[in-house]
Amino acid sequence: MRSLTLDHASFWYPATESPALRDVSLEVGQGEVVALVGALGAGASTLLLVAADLAPRVTGGRLAGAVARRDRSGIVLPTPWTQASGMAFTVWDEVAFGPANLGWPTHEIARQVDRALEQLELVPLASRDPATLSGGELQRVIIAAILAMDPGLVLFDEPAAELDAEGAHTLWRLIRLLAREGKAVLLATSALDAIPDVADRVVWLEDGAVRAVGTPDLLADVAACDAGLGTSVATVWRAGGLPEPYPLTVAHAVQRWR
Amino acid sequence: MTGGRLHPFTLLAIAGALPALAWILPAPAGGAWTLVVALALTLTPGASPGFTHIGSSPGWRPGLVVLRTALLTAAPFWLFLLLLHDVPTTIATGLRITTMVASFVWLVATLEPARLVEAMVAAGWSASVAYLLAATISAVPVLKARAQRIVEAQRCRGLSPRGGIAARLRALRALALPLVLSALHEVDERALALETRGLVPGIRRTPLAPPPDPAVEQAARWALLLVCLAALVRRFIVPRFV
Repeated sequence: MRSLTLDHASFWYPATESPALRDVSLEVGQGEVVALVGALGAGASTLLLVAADLAPRVTGGRLAGAVARRDRSGIVLPTPWTQASGMAFTVWDEVAFGPANLGWPTHEIARQVDRALEQLELVPLASRDPATLSGGELQRVIIAAILAMDPGLVLFDEPAAELDAEGAHTLWRLIRLLAREGKAVLLATSALDAIPDVADRVVWLEDGAVRAVGTPDLLADVAACDAGLGTSVATVWRAGGLPEPYPLTVAHAVQRWR
Repeated sequence: MTGGRLHPFTLLAIAGALPALAWILPAPAGGAWTLVVALALTLTPGASPGFTHIGSSPGWRPGLVVLRTALLTAAPFWLFLLLLHDVPTTIATGLRITTMVASFVWLVATLEPARLVEAMVAAGWSASVAYLLAATISAVPVLKARAQRIVEAQRCRGLSPRGGIAARLRALRALALPLVLSALHEVDERALALETRGLVPGIRRTPLAPPPDPAVEQAARWALLLVCLAALVRRFIVPRFV
């Protein structure tokens, strides 16, 4: 079942003439992880804001085309500092900020918060003051805060930007777990090497428009590598002058060598 | 009893009543009395200098740092008053303004925004209005922390905020522009983040841990209101009939 449908959606930010999104059609189903890739300014963040019903409702601007959402959405933005409520004494309170705003009963808030803290391995930090956390810790708290609101559609904008390798690995596993629970996940990331293990589909955005849609194998495509959107293995393979098709992952490369 | 343990509404009532009385009561005695109370409040253990203090003061007691912040903030007003008025007017108005400044500094140092939101939501206020008020109060420490980061970044680039007036003005310009621009930029992102976290107009937020509001504090708030009204009547209404 579709959680999000964009039908020929275009979006203009206020006081701009050229659209940040151009004629984008996309569907994200429940239990599916879709990764958005593209160069800086390709429109991935804007697409997430439109999907989250924040653009144009909060940002202003103009939307053309149709956007249909079946579920409540939650978006994780790239900078954790601006997403903290600033109204919490502890990490637990910070994660509970969103569920409390939804007016849930306190026992349901406690259940969702405890679950989100466990998922993000934040239980040991539950009583810490959010202001004392590192960037990576705070990013995990913000992700937990969004998940505690139990959104059906989860939108991630560069979620691993502040995380170390271990934190990023936990996040990618969590995203697959969310998909298994039936949530729809739309993910904008420049961590291209993680995509083969995380995403079911890849949408390549260029200048606000969809250039290509496919499986993660798209990231070993010659055109993607030319555009700087290949995985590390594919890029190194290409740089070494080795023959096509380029391998997507280390495992694929090993198979090719044999 | 420390300011930090009082109900947020009681803190607001005290911080509102003191400046009101300073302007209502006859000068300069009224302003002097309210100022003494306001300055005494800044020395209470509930006031946290981390929210307010200007510069670092190793070894200073927290209350003294809050007191110093209040006095330093009020000092320029005295200078301008002295330039514009005679000495009696300067003293009368200066005491009143210093009471206002000290009350506000004490409030910012004492009132925890999260407790205010909880208290307002528990009292039936809109969560958006409560957040707006609490965010306004917490803007001081947030801007202070950001200004500190910018100053450190400028120091790394060789710009010193110390030295003569010209050097300090140059440093101020290098601080003000990034401070204002980054604050404006953050407003956009914070609006998006709060929307996605459910802080939208018309919500019925669940109070998570509303601070206790004992009957004695409720009575004290009403008493403060009555004292202000009585002072108002005593000062402006009664003389007309005498």
